[in-house]
Amino acid sequence: MIIEDNSFILFQSIIVPAAFSVLALVLGNRLKEKTGWLSSVILLYSTILIGYIQLRLFLEPSLEAIEASYSWLPKIGSLSLGSFTLRADGLSTPIALIISILCTLISIYSVKYMEHEHALGQYFALYLLYASGMIGTVLVTNLAAFFLFFELMLIPSWALIGVWGTGLREKIAFKYFMFTEAGALSLLAGIVATGFIANTFEIFEVSQGMVGIELGVQIAIVVAMLLGLFVKMAIFPLHTWLPDAHAEAPTPISALLSPAMIGIGGYAAIRIVYTGFPAVVKASTPQFMLILSVLALVTMTYGGYMALAQDDIKRLLAFSSISQMGYMLFGIASVSTIGLVGAVLLYVSHGLGKAVLFMVSGVLIHEFKTRSIKELGGLAAKMPYTAIATLIGFLGLMGFPYIIGFWAELYIFTGSMYTALQGFSHLLEPNSIRVLITSLAIVASVLTASYGLWTVRRVFYGQPTEKTMHANEGPMIMIVPIMILAALALILGIYPGLMASSASTYISELLGSIG
Amino acid sequence: MAIVPTVGIETIPAWLSWLFPMIGAFLTPLLAKINPRLRDYGAVLFSFLAASMTIMLIPLLFSVEELPKWEVLPWIELEGFPVLSKIEFGVLVDPLSIIMANVVAVISFLIMVYSLGYMKGESGLTRYWFFMNFFIGNMLLLVMSENLVQTLFGWEGVGLCSYALIGFWYRDAKEDYLKTWVGEPPEAYPPSHCGMKAFITTRIGDISLLIGIVIIVAFTGTLSYMELIEKVEHLPHEFMWILVPAAILLFGGPIGKSAQLPLMEWLPDAMAGPATVSALIHAATMVKAGVYLVGRLFPIMYVASKFYPEMGSFFYVVAWIGVITAFVAGTQAITSNEIKKVLAYSTVSQLGYMMLALGVAGTTFEFFIGYTAGVFHLMSHAIFKAALFLTAGAVIHAVESRFLHHMGGIRKEMPITFWSMTLTAFSLMGVPILFSGFWSKDLILESTLLAGQPIMFALAAITAAITAFYSVRMLSLTFLGKKSKHIHELEHEGHHVHEAPKVMWIPYSILAVATVLFGIGAITLLPLGGFGGWLEHTFESYLSRLLGMEHSSTLLAAELATEGALPQELAVIITIGTSLTVLAIGAFIAYKLYIRRSPDPAKLVGSKGVLKSLWNFLFRRWYVNAFFYKVFVYPTISFSNWALKHIEIGGIDKFNYVLANAVRGFSNRFRRTHTGLLNYNVIGMIAGIILLLILVYMVLV
Repeated sequence: MIIEDNSFILFQSIIVPAAFSVLALVLGNRLKEKTGWLSSVILLYSTILIGYIQLRLFLEPSLEAIEASYSWLPKIGSLSLGSFTLRADGLSTPIALIISILCTLISIYSVKYMEHEHALGQYFALYLLYASGMIGTVLVTNLAAFFLFFELMLIPSWALIGVWGTGLREKIAFKYFMFTEAGALSLLAGIVATGFIANTFEIFEVSQGMVGIELGVQIAIVVAMLLGLFVKMAIFPLHTWLPDAHAEAPTPISALLSPAMIGIGGYAAIRIVYTGFPAVVKASTPQFMLILSVLALVTMTYGGYMALAQDDIKRLLAFSSISQMGYMLFGIASVSTIGLVGAVLLYVSHGLGKAVLFMVSGVLIHEFKTRSIKELGGLAAKMPYTAIATLIGFLGLMGFPYIIGFWAELYIFTGSMYTALQGFSHLLEPNSIRVLITSLAIVASVLTASYGLWTVRRVFYGQPTEKTMHANEGPMIMIVPIMILAALALILGIYPGLMASSASTYISELLGSIG
Repeated sequence: MAIVPTVGIETIPAWLSWLFPMIGAFLTPLLAKINPRLRDYGAVLFSFLAASMTIMLIPLLFSVEELPKWEVLPWIELEGFPVLSKIEFGVLVDPLSIIMANVVAVISFLIMVYSLGYMKGESGLTRYWFFMNFFIGNMLLLVMSENLVQTLFGWEGVGLCSYALIGFWYRDAKEDYLKTWVGEPPEAYPPSHCGMKAFITTRIGDISLLIGIVIIVAFTGTLSYMELIEKVEHLPHEFMWILVPAAILLFGGPIGKSAQLPLMEWLPDAMAGPATVSALIHAATMVKAGVYLVGRLFPIMYVASKFYPEMGSFFYVVAWIGVITAFVAGTQAITSNEIKKVLAYSTVSQLGYMMLALGVAGTTFEFFIGYTAGVFHLMSHAIFKAALFLTAGAVIHAVESRFLHHMGGIRKEMPITFWSMTLTAFSLMGVPILFSGFWSKDLILESTLLAGQPIMFALAAITAAITAFYSVRMLSLTFLGKKSKHIHELEHEGHHVHEAPKVMWIPYSILAVATVLFGIGAITLLPLGGFGGWLEHTFESYLSRLLGMEHSSTLLAAELATEGALPQELAVIITIGTSLTVLAIGAFIAYKLYIRRSPDPAKLVGSKGVLKSLWNFLFRRWYVNAFFYKVFVYPTISFSNWALKHIEIGGIDKFNYVLANAVRGFSNRFRRTHTGLLNYNVIGMIAGIILLLILVYMVLV
């Protein structure tokens, strides 16, 4: 059952933050950092709306999606851009919910972190636009509109890095912009080709429009789109913009870039490729899975190794994000309901866990004015809440039970192993190689445990250093949002059904239709 | 036979047993806000509640024909999943879980009481009590759990607690070298290092376990232990072979958790934690989780081996790893200079015995003998090793050092501790008749003979001699002989060595008495063959019913009669004879060296020569620890640094900049043509028009 969104819930959740960004801009110069409270209230409104949808999806298993459609531009020649369609279903709602929760809490966190910065009106205005861009990208199902939102999340974040960042911020913001823009152009090429060939921009109509189109053409389109999305996800070797951008962005923005934004690439891969191009997935399943899983395995391993070599805590977290995106891609590559649900849960887990960790790094920067792990140490007793949150964050990344990350990894690997064993007939064919790759991917998760625990040890254990001698716990206005996110990760870890059940309903139908 | 979940009042204690300590753990920070004493006693109270719950399960052991009690609640149901669509949350009450739960809960409670004295005055006690209770809760959850996912929760939960408690003194202060560090240079490690080492090493085992679980669930579609027993019978025969690697991968988890070779190196270093933690987690309970899991999976693998004989190789892997670990770790205990580290090596060695027993059990038809031996030894080891660690803790407290050469000659000052340690060490050595360790170890030796494994028997017997040797060595270095210089210094400073407080000695003397009581109860001449005989009978009737082997037993007996096995009576006699001989040899040599001091061991080893190199080899743990650091730890870090420099920065990122610079370079050159002079522009325009005209001409013609 799909219900029409008569009360503009979806539309409001996107447009309210965008519209109020003007207010933030106007009031910002007077309210200074307190604008953060305003923007958090605005984003809380979006969160409540999306949370309401997620709750309904969870409580009413028969409810498939909530949709809204608004007529848009007239036809351009023979090609219509279609209508501006929004859809909240088992796949998009959990992602949008995490984004809005993160945006709300990090806005509060910004109040303290950004308090001595300049031009906070502009900061929070861009922040709200950025949030609106991310939520919009996830909820919209028209490819043309999708591209617009995709750009809407790029441009404000570019400005946020370039103006309020640290280090070589302008250069790095430029690098970030160029990379993601190149990716976006590849995506655009795919979208335009889809529009002309399938004669529609509606993701849910693309598969019909593609009937009868040569497979090679479809594959080319999928590859172009995936390339664009992989830049966003920072899949190896398209990742080099990420460590720079995430390290030098102002920490609240790092805490959105990494947990919320890059995973959208993975979400879009599921939404666009699986929904729009079932023929490609079906026809090339073993190769499709094999190539993507190898890419995923390389990314997760490489990110893990790079994280081990870092001294800059934010850079370490950035490489850890690359590694986590490898896990997400691994789930996407599994072509199984279990693996795809795992990928969605990984987004949730990474969103919560990595946000916690970036926010912790912000607390450390706020207290000690350094990002170098070498200069930290012995903080466990002085900053107990920060220490607990960090441990929960890293445990979540390494797939520790009681935390949502466990389910994400369990499902991803089970899904991958299941499809591999199903097609298993003899050694040395794609499926049996995938058994091996899946095993290697599980082995690679030792790296996550290693860099996580090692970081905890270097920052929180041992003797205090000169800098940390007189440390105190960070301000509560920063700690409380962190603790809320950590608690969410725990609650979902004990009962993942809250996010997973609607996702599995949707994804099993999606894969069922592919056959 | 089909076994279905039941609902009944009898399982309520099984639920509460792990819920109470979990609740206790999360109440700890709140109670601490009210009053520190309330927090301490509250924590102990919750562990007491857990123990009383598990004791309430004991009567079920006497109506074994009604077991298992198996109760499940829905947990996660996901639509559209081909496998793993339904994960339930439940308890499984059977003889194995009842026995294990009681071992865990009762010993935990005694150790919690002891903690009141031992940890007095430490800072960070809220953290301590939280993790202790969280540990007990997770351990009981693991024991009671009904499926592998639920087991993983407990499994990783106890791992986290172990990590946190090993690193309890995370400040790594150099001043506390004598008390909180572990090892001697070049292998001396601070507590936070050891905690991390423990977590990551066991994690490597867990990864193998996880791969095994993923294969099993993808292959059979279920993770419930009871369902798996039935499922394995109906698997397609041509794919049965997948079960063999899957089972061995599953065993990787127990290898890590129970510190078997090659993942044993974390356990000796885990001694950096407080003695209570060593006693509870690294002797009595958590390290037994691996053995427990093998026992849990045993019926499944055993059934599979009936249908697919190659499954037997799984049991051989278990047995061989067990017996080799027992021997290797035993030899390492000979040279260690730290009281707790001797006990840690000994724990590894004894865990190897348990694995050996379970392994050989799977290769015979009379599987219940080996199975009983493993479980019985698990029980008796939990009791005596917990007591040994607690007494060691009392001594360390008294002499303020972990080194054996800082002890000596304190028998008179600490009589209760001395006698408790002596009784429990006798049980460890396997001194006959009165001590439970004797009976359980004998049963293990006997089961190897019954399985027709003379080499395993020989290795296990040599290990028994070594055990006797290092036990006597440890006892005499700790309590007998002359007082060390260190103690004299302490006395000079006004610290006199004295008996531990009541709150500490009562728990370990209870355990010392318990090991004797179990020993007396296990005398085979008693009705039913004593405790061991009763246990064997219980497991035999329970497991053969579970595996559906009651009726066909005679037929199968003829078919499966193990090659090279001895008749049972003969095996018993050989075992008793051998174990008495090796005990005498090991103890006698140690007596000569460490009590009579003729010859003096230090002079005997000397400073070079064969004995010295052997000593070094054992002291450096067969160089296994150094090997792991050299081959895995350091190369991983240096590889990542190298890759950062040469692949990330020097390779990929450089390529980006080369690309960017090339574009900029090109545009810089090209820019020079844009001079802004009218003449040039007109020439360019004309050239363009001509080019265009040529193009048009070509297209048209």
